[in-house]
Amino acid sequence: MNQLRKRTDLLGIKLLYKENRISKLLKWNGNRKKSTDSRIQQVDNGFFEKFGSLFREQAEMAQAREQEEQQHVAELAAQIAPKDEEEKEEEPETPPLVTADSEASSSDSESEKDDFQADFLAAAFNIDELYTEMLYVILHNVGCDVAFEVGQTALFSYAQDAFKIPNSKHRQLMDVAEQKEDPELIINVEVIEAKELRAKDANGLSDPFVTLYLASNTSHRYNTSVKTMTLNPIWEEHFALAINDKSVNDTLCLEVWDFDPAETVKEKFGKFFEVKGVKGMSKLVKEIAVTAATGQHENELIGVAKIPLSTIPASGMTMWYTLDKKNKVTRRGVLKVRISFSSGKNNQVAGQEHRHMRRIILLHELEVSKVAPYWWCENFTPQADQLLTQHVAQSGLTQTEVALCSYSVYAGIHQKHPLSFGLFSKLLEKLLKPLQTEIINEEDLKLFWEATRKLLPSCLSIIRKIRKKTTNEKTIMKQVMEVLKILNYIITLGPTDIDLFPSNLYPWITFHGNGPNCDIQGALRDAISKGANDWLNYIIENNTENGGTSISKLQNLIQMIQLIRSDLQKAIEYYDKFFIEHVNFQYAKCLYTFYQARVATLCEPDVREICKNLKTLDNSDYKFGEGFVNEDPTVDPLAEGTSLFELYLAIQRFVTLGQGLCPADYNSFHIRNFHQWFHVGVATWLDIAVYKALQRIEKAVELDPLVHIDSTVKYSSSAVDTLTIFYQVNTFWQQLNWPDVEGCYTFIAKIIDDICQCCVSYAKKMAARVDGLGHIENVYEKKFEVTTEWCLAINNIDYVRETLEPFTRDLGMEDILKKIMELKGPVDEKRCRDTLNTVISNAIDTVRNAIVELLETVVNKMIPSMKRLLIEGAELCDQDSNCIDRLMMYVDENLGTLNTELNEENFNRILEIVWESLSETINELIRNNLENRRPPSFFSNLHKTLILMLGVYKDPSDCNSCDALKRTEQVLRVNALETSDLIHEVHLELADKFDQFTESPYGEISFRSKFDGDTIQIEVINARDLAVMDSSGNSDSFVRIHLLPEHEFANVEKPKTKTHHKTLFPLYDETFTINLTPAQREIENGLVLLSVKDKDLLGYNNQYIGETFIRFRDIPCTSESLSELPQVKKWLGRPTSFDTDALKALESRQGDKQAKEFLKKFKNKITP
Amino acid sequence: MRSTTKNPLLKVVILGDGGVGKSCLMNRFVSNQFDEHSFHTIGVEFLNKDLDIEGQTYTLQIWDTAGQERFKTLRTPFYRGSDICMLTYAIDDKMSFKNLEMWRKEFAYYADLKESNQIPFIVVGNKSDVSSEAREVSQLEMETWCNENSITSCIETSAKSASNVEEAFKMAVQHWLRLESRADINETHVNDTVDLSKKIGDSNRMSCCVGGGAAGDDDTNN
Ligand SMILES: Nc1nc2c(ncn2[C@@H]2O[C@H](COP(=O)(O)OP(=O)(O)OP(=O)(O)O)[C@@H](O)[C@H]2O)c(=O)[nH]1
Ligand SMILES: [Mg+2]
Repeated sequence: MNQLRKRTDLLGIKLLYKENRISKLLKWNGNRKKSTDSRIQQVDNGFFEKFGSLFREQAEMAQAREQEEQQHVAELAAQIAPKDEEEKEEEPETPPLVTADSEASSSDSESEKDDFQADFLAAAFNIDELYTEMLYVILHNVGCDVAFEVGQTALFSYAQDAFKIPNSKHRQLMDVAEQKEDPELIINVEVIEAKELRAKDANGLSDPFVTLYLASNTSHRYNTSVKTMTLNPIWEEHFALAINDKSVNDTLCLEVWDFDPAETVKEKFGKFFEVKGVKGMSKLVKEIAVTAATGQHENELIGVAKIPLSTIPASGMTMWYTLDKKNKVTRRGVLKVRISFSSGKNNQVAGQEHRHMRRIILLHELEVSKVAPYWWCENFTPQADQLLTQHVAQSGLTQTEVALCSYSVYAGIHQKHPLSFGLFSKLLEKLLKPLQTEIINEEDLKLFWEATRKLLPSCLSIIRKIRKKTTNEKTIMKQVMEVLKILNYIITLGPTDIDLFPSNLYPWITFHGNGPNCDIQGALRDAISKGANDWLNYIIENNTENGGTSISKLQNLIQMIQLIRSDLQKAIEYYDKFFIEHVNFQYAKCLYTFYQARVATLCEPDVREICKNLKTLDNSDYKFGEGFVNEDPTVDPLAEGTSLFELYLAIQRFVTLGQGLCPADYNSFHIRNFHQWFHVGVATWLDIAVYKALQRIEKAVELDPLVHIDSTVKYSSSAVDTLTIFYQVNTFWQQLNWPDVEGCYTFIAKIIDDICQCCVSYAKKMAARVDGLGHIENVYEKKFEVTTEWCLAINNIDYVRETLEPFTRDLGMEDILKKIMELKGPVDEKRCRDTLNTVISNAIDTVRNAIVELLETVVNKMIPSMKRLLIEGAELCDQDSNCIDRLMMYVDENLGTLNTELNEENFNRILEIVWESLSETINELIRNNLENRRPPSFFSNLHKTLILMLGVYKDPSDCNSCDALKRTEQVLRVNALETSDLIHEVHLELADKFDQFTESPYGEISFRSKFDGDTIQIEVINARDLAVMDSSGNSDSFVRIHLLPEHEFANVEKPKTKTHHKTLFPLYDETFTINLTPAQREIENGLVLLSVKDKDLLGYNNQYIGETFIRFRDIPCTSESLSELPQVKKWLGRPTSFDTDALKALESRQGDKQAKEFLKKFKNKITP
Repeated sequence: MRSTTKNPLLKVVILGDGGVGKSCLMNRFVSNQFDEHSFHTIGVEFLNKDLDIEGQTYTLQIWDTAGQERFKTLRTPFYRGSDICMLTYAIDDKMSFKNLEMWRKEFAYYADLKESNQIPFIVVGNKSDVSSEAREVSQLEMETWCNENSITSCIETSAKSASNVEEAFKMAVQHWLRLESRADINETHVNDTVDLSKKIGDSNRMSCCVGGGAAGDDDTNN
């Protein structure tokens, strides 16, 4: 229980410690933000930070930011919005005839203009007739509301103003109106069409119109509209002529005229359009009216048809009439008319009349009120309202008919002076049900669709001009809403067989069907595209100014995409719901579909081209402190690459938007593979990132104060900075969000390799930074002290190395491998994984080597001082014991610093290097001093010193990795021995060696031995398989017993056995007893040497067969008799080489007689 | 895993058409294995291998690239900083031999080779085990092409039968050693003051190589 608590406590502490460390690090980083960070950023103007912020933006999709951007974009767009619109906005006082739809009017074809003209000409030509009718209406006001509304006089004067009738004419027509009675009989004439008319104009065509009147009343003329530039006009216009009793014998005259051949309608209108405005329009009407009424026009007669009323059947008829002209025999064409009789005013005639009146009055109203375009909403003055209401009432027109008339008239006027869209949507709302349910005659239906056709251009224009920035947004949105309502009604009422979108009028509409186009949705789609396209073109045109460098090109594209994005944003936020609600149309989606194609075609070629020509950045050219050498100043590869990356991100965001917006169509979008355009650029971006990282690392090292960040960690600022830089590279990689898996995998391999380069560079910079530190030089000495800075440098590099692996994990390696698994299967996945792992471990190793290199540098700096102190110690050890203290102090201090500052791994590593270098140094010392014949005491002192040092810092038993030091220590020990000890050392070595024999060519010997007190007893029993020593294949052997070391047993005899002749298996069976002094008995490494020799015939040149050693400590101490003890068998051996430390030491003692003699004997023993 | 012993590091890049056997060569060299049904390499593959030449151990860092055209932009970033480039073709595929020119150019462009005499190329004709009927490129053709392009080292190998594979890599290293020593001589002859910068550059590249003993060794051979 207690133990458990202790454990958790411990863990708790550990956790706390860790947390503390992290929070401190964070805190520290936070505090530093202002100082070091910003200074590091200064290196490259916040390169990564810029990228980082883009990233954040992308991640958060922060609305605030979006709005801000939108505002910015709005401003931008306002700047680039076409100028003329602005001007218009500034002068709302003079409502222009040609409205905001300037483009529409310029691109609108003649036919539309003609329609418009026809209406006005028709009204103008019949102005007297209409005016008379108007007066008649005023005279015969009906209803109770008349009196208190507007007085009759006011109405007369209003009508006179509106119709622009001079006083004299007014009086004249007033008379007519007053006398006018309800006709008993009416002849209804529909002028349908003419064919093969004679050409009157220079262009081989005519501008025909028809004048009709009764022969009895030539001054009462009616006119059709003028059909321009045609020889086969279609009028389909209705007229009602009153006939009285006496006119039964009357004749109906139909004259076909060519309008003012000296000046075609077009020319006349051309002139007149220069005047512009409703005012000019009214003026023209008046002008034409005068000429028409007086008949004093320059028009040229084409032909006449005279129809006696008596020839017309009561049921009416439709006939082709041949046109004649006095004195002319050539054919003048044929005219088709429908004639019928009725007793009241025909509805169609009334409608036509009403339309003419409404038109004239509206023109007048507009002229007087100067109402702004898109504003008028059927707010007539009371007079006008009354006149029209009265006419409706008196001609018995239904509400539907009136609405239809209004719709038709307004649509006509709207073409030149735009009226409120709300007006139309309201009218349509009124018309919707009647048109759907009531049986509407074909002509009215045609009228409706004609009017609709006139209305549509302005509607689509609103859609196209949705980005107009001058009007306030609310107005635009309201207009759009009304337009959408209008379109919805039209869609509901359709389809029709009228071509609503004649291709000459809408060149931008792509209609693939045959026959009339009344595909509103299609037109809408095209209008949206066209509007977006025009807007985009405008941006592009205005952006090309700033030079043709690739950077400006890229910047332009980036800006363009930003504008597009905010346009889409607005589409999504505001318009989309209108479109969906009203016309069930996916506005934003349609817009996106258009934009993505444009963005793709605009960006792809430039991107590919720029990528292809990207200057490669060679990081190996990078020289610290200088930047790149041989840098071409005209092309900054960094700026180019950076801009390219910005564009990549811009498109990426754009594509992401599309993914959400059009999930179904996304896969068919060309832009979805945009990354392929940038393929070549990625390598450059990686290079740039590394380049920037290298720059920043350099700066970080420079700025590093080389103090602990805080008391809990053992590294300094540049380590953390470097790590931050790595994570900036990572951020860059995340931003890139490369969609292609194979590319991802390869790029990651490259990034890891690059980061390794950065690490190595960091290690180098760090090493260079501390290189000069720690050197102390004064009058007494020159030495190197390990400083905290050195340790920090080492720790820093290690810190960075440790982060390599987690860093690579954070690059998303596992994810990518998973995708490779899905895409390619386990074999490839394994290959890729292996590759990445190898690259990572390589990187880690390389950095570890850099650390080792630095450790070596430290040690190399320490070694001279240590060497000096060692020599001093060896020389002066006996006289001056301070020496050792000084050495110990030096080692203690420096290793102490290393021990406290470095982590365990690195401390152990440096210790090993220290011992390694030390043993090298000592070996060198030994060599030099042997040459100089230094006495064994020198080596002995050196040995002592070393042992002392090792004792402090090293447990020799766990010194597995530094055998060198063991060896050195051994060499030193041996050399420190006196010669006789050294000789014994040789024997001891031989004893060890022989003990390991498992067989021998020299034979085997059996013996027993024991100590009894200070007496040693040795029984030599026998030998077997002795080496053959003479030609007969036998040996004559004996055994001699030596006690070693020799100088200790100088007084002791060396007994031998008898010689046993001619046998390889001698049975000696002799026991020897030797008495020793107690001191001799106690000699630590005492040996018994059994030397087997071959007896020479003459006895003085005995041959050596072999030998074996018995250690004193192996000999049992017992009072038992020898025969009770077990036999001991040992293989005989001979020395084989000089290759031992002791022998080498002996050899080096050239002046030593004892050594010399021993060596001479020893050489003889060596196997030949 | 590479030990922390400090051998000279050499970056080797293997180039050549897809399917000539680059990956097989590397695998034979590094792990003495051969895979009859080797897949096309994705982007790059990377392996380490130590190689002893005249008592000195070199660590080869081998980048095996993907030969298929679609990987072009993925492999080219790895060319820079390489010490040796193995141009590989298959002797039973004339086209792969013809393409050597393209590979040479691609490497020179992306590796940003500055000095023309510093050509770290070695030409390897793989699949030498195929029957003589299947052979489409003769040894003579290979040698002629090499001469024309001043490439001094070329060899025919078979990853399948393990013939000449280690030799090819040895040859590559020896070739590099020759270039290095020549470069050193040039340096010192041309201008003594450049020496310092050159050293910096050198140690930059061979980050873990202490002392240029290797280059020195070769001096005596010449
Ligand atoms: N006969 C023969 N076939 C070989 C030899 N080396 C490789 N192959 C075969 O050639 C095919 C392609 O070998 P790879 O090593 O994958 O080719 P690669 O050059 O790496 O191709 P990429 O990775 O696409 O660039 C495999 O089916 C191998 O079995 C060879 O020495 N002799
Ligand atoms: Mg391969």
